[in-house]
Amino acid sequence: MTFGILLPALLLAATPPPDAADLIARLKRPVPASTAYTEVRFVHQLTRPLILRGELDYGGADKLGKRVDAPYRETTTISGDNVTVTRADRTPKHFDLERAPELKALMGGFSALLGGDAAALATLYTISLVDNTGGWTLTLTPHDAAPSAHLREFVIDGAGNEPHCFTLQQANGDASVMLLGPLAAAKLPQPPTTAALATLCRAP
Amino acid sequence: MSGRGRLVGITLWWLALALAAFAVQHTLVVNNDLRSFMPPPRNADQKVLMDEIGDGPASRLLLMAISGAPPEKLAALSRGLVHSLRADKRFTQAVNGSESLIQLDAKLLPYRYLLSPTLDRARFDEPFLREQLEERLQDLGSPAASSLEDILPHDPTLETLALAQRWTPRHAPALRDGVWISSHEEALLIATTRAPGLDTAAQAEAIAALRAAFTALPDAAAAKLTISGPGYIGAQIAASTRAEAERLSAIGTAGFAILLLLAYRSASILALVALPLASGALAGLAALVLVFGNVHGITLAFGFTLLGVAQEYPLRVFSHRRAGSDSTAGVRGVWPLLRLAIVSACIAYLAFLASGVPGLQQLAVFTIVALLVAGAATRWLLPPLLPERFRDVAASPLMQRAQRWLAAMPRPRALPWIALALALLALWFAPAPLWQNNLAALAPAPPAELAREGKLRAALGAPDVRYLLVLHADSADAVLQLSERISAQVDQWISAHAVDDVELPSRWLPSMETQRSRQARLPDRATLTAALDAALKDLPFQPGLFAPFIDDVEAARDLSPLSPEVFEHSPFGARLAAMLVERDGKWYGLTALDGVHDPSVLAGIAAQTGGAVHLLDLKSASETLVAQYRTRILQALGVAFVLLVLAVGLAFRNARRAWHVLAPMSLATLLAIAVLRACGVPLSLFHLVAVTLAAGLGLHYALFFERPVADADEARRTLHATLVCVAAAVLVFGLLATSAEPVLRAIGATVALGVAFHFILSTQMAMRTDSTRHDRDAG
Repeated sequence: MTFGILLPALLLAATPPPDAADLIARLKRPVPASTAYTEVRFVHQLTRPLILRGELDYGGADKLGKRVDAPYRETTTISGDNVTVTRADRTPKHFDLERAPELKALMGGFSALLGGDAAALATLYTISLVDNTGGWTLTLTPHDAAPSAHLREFVIDGAGNEPHCFTLQQANGDASVMLLGPLAAAKLPQPPTTAALATLCRAP
Repeated sequence: MSGRGRLVGITLWWLALALAAFAVQHTLVVNNDLRSFMPPPRNADQKVLMDEIGDGPASRLLLMAISGAPPEKLAALSRGLVHSLRADKRFTQAVNGSESLIQLDAKLLPYRYLLSPTLDRARFDEPFLREQLEERLQDLGSPAASSLEDILPHDPTLETLALAQRWTPRHAPALRDGVWISSHEEALLIATTRAPGLDTAAQAEAIAALRAAFTALPDAAAAKLTISGPGYIGAQIAASTRAEAERLSAIGTAGFAILLLLAYRSASILALVALPLASGALAGLAALVLVFGNVHGITLAFGFTLLGVAQEYPLRVFSHRRAGSDSTAGVRGVWPLLRLAIVSACIAYLAFLASGVPGLQQLAVFTIVALLVAGAATRWLLPPLLPERFRDVAASPLMQRAQRWLAAMPRPRALPWIALALALLALWFAPAPLWQNNLAALAPAPPAELAREGKLRAALGAPDVRYLLVLHADSADAVLQLSERISAQVDQWISAHAVDDVELPSRWLPSMETQRSRQARLPDRATLTAALDAALKDLPFQPGLFAPFIDDVEAARDLSPLSPEVFEHSPFGARLAAMLVERDGKWYGLTALDGVHDPSVLAGIAAQTGGAVHLLDLKSASETLVAQYRTRILQALGVAFVLLVLAVGLAFRNARRAWHVLAPMSLATLLAIAVLRACGVPLSLFHLVAVTLAAGLGLHYALFFERPVADADEARRTLHATLVCVAAAVLVFGLLATSAEPVLRAIGATVALGVAFHFILSTQMAMRTDSTRHDRDAG
């Protein structure tokens, strides 16, 4: 009896807001897809952010590649649970996605997002969508604190059907902002603070 | 004795036996460890070998797979099972992949610069630190950076990761949801039992506990637990052999009862026939408790088999009752001969006492005491309890016909010699091998079971059960030094695919010397600070970020090197403790091998190291032990035969009569062995024991047929007794011979065959058929 009443409520809670679901469905990328990026990483152990440039490759569910071209060369491929990091002329390093739970949670989010699967995304994150002048901001907050203790939120800024920026905000204050597509070639604000980058991401 | 008195007597006897059985059952410790049945180890090497045969870490592993549930349920079940097993005293270890090596134990953390091989090749100088820091900067830019941030300030050169990598098995299964999951959607686990792999009873108990723990888990009903491993397979085989033996002996007992009813037409005989044997067996067990305290399972199995001769004693008494005389008259008539048979058998078994093998000494004590007590019970306790009404078998028309037919049977004098020649020819031309030294061949594992074990073992990267690399040295540290010296060679083996992985003890703990030399290469605080400052130039690390690193290096310079004793108290210590073993002041490094593809390449290490390291093949080593053990049994049997000849010869004081008894017995034994060999059966310990039992029975046939008797009636009674005995033995052991279990078949076929030969040759060579034989002996 109680269960009968609760069930629709539970289903409701796990369903993304209708306009967000619509947007996510439109964000679906054909496979394979690739895009240039510029990543600005803020690490509290460093005095200045790291700036990396390269290409992101999406090869379908559970397949993701990140290539760094500058300032050094490195390729990370994630296929299922296997992560391989190849750096310049070194022998590739392999590790299990299980060994990096936060990366695993992130990977789940990326796959669901690029696959246009709002329902899958809603099982991992609470989704909120804000329209702003230049476009929209989709904010994903993990439901489950345990496996993604490091990840506080995952923000996607974009306009129309195009994502412009992925921003990962970590619990310890570290953050990573990825400028995608045309924005990857844009001139970075000096100094490149998170606030300045957010403005760039949301610019019309 | 009155009918009522007899009933009371029989009841009291059974009650006494039941009480004795209860007492013995509660004091007797049956030990199923095969090693106690082996010759005592003569040196430290053999001691280690004996330990490893039944007790090696690889033989104690139970490999498990949970399947049939969705992956997230599998992980929960895997975690739940490991949790229960860790709380169970029967298991020393339970792992499922969830144990993280990344977090180095706090106790070992300060020792990381002494344990990790980094300092063998590098120094913490400016160029090395610069290279490391640049790499760390790239690591911070990689998607997995957050796991690194915690350890960076203490460990910028990532020694903890280097150690984790060094200590991770090379072929561990893939992790999913934090536990090992195979490519076939099974959660994989390993448990190590406290009991040795060969202790089938303890293994069965551990397996039952494991199954119960699994069933108690929530959602276990939907999933399936598959268990494998050497102990599991051994326990399975033992259980199926026991079930088969119990089934066949139940049929055999029923058949024996029908045979007795037909032979004696008396139901009360059934209550009496088992009493002497049961009394003897209990007395034998009591003697074992008093003399040894514990008994090996095989001693019991062999002992009860050999005790089969005592089943004949009451049958002789039943058949030799004479019409018209009191119940003890028949017993008095056959007793001198029965006594001769019992005493000579006991004298023969004295040879086993002198063998020096504990298992054989136990066998001798059990058999001698049991035979004496069974004989005495037959002579003094049984006759007063015999039913008053009986049928003198001498009057049986069937026996009269049988006697005439046997008397008229042709007895060509050349027959025994032809049989002997044929037996020798058969033995000479029989296919090799003569001996079956692989005890496992008599209890073969079902191929499907072995295949599953192989698959699980490969999936789990569990060590090989057959091969072991053994390092010898004078101290634990010297073993570690030796291990370091051969590690380059071992790496070559792995890259040449001779073996998948070798878990050298030095992989866990470097020798003191190595630790000291690494320590000597650690810079002092001022030098390190200067090198680090220079290396950090223009790199964006926060100032002072690496202060913990400088402190840790400073602290590591003053540590005394980690000894095996201290290391053994760390979470990985059990691994090393199992590898470093001391015996009689000598130290051994027992190195598990994973996936041995080319043992001959590995065996070459012995020559290179002057014997300090050698490849131990547990299969061939245990076969060597079995062969040594068999040699002891054969020697004991040889001495037993000589003692028997002397005993019979002395009793008869007549070489011809002794010859008439001993020749058919010896020839029949030879013929039984020849037939087995001609059929291509390699002989095992079980065949030897079976042949010995048959010889004991054959001795009875020959002794009784050879006995001078007053009249044809008594000769018919002898014939009746012998026919009942032969029929009973062929029935019971013939049934065993139909078994699919090789051990039961070996014993059954050998005894049945032997008994048939003993009977035929006794009628040919020992039986007195007419007055000419009497005259010949008299003259």
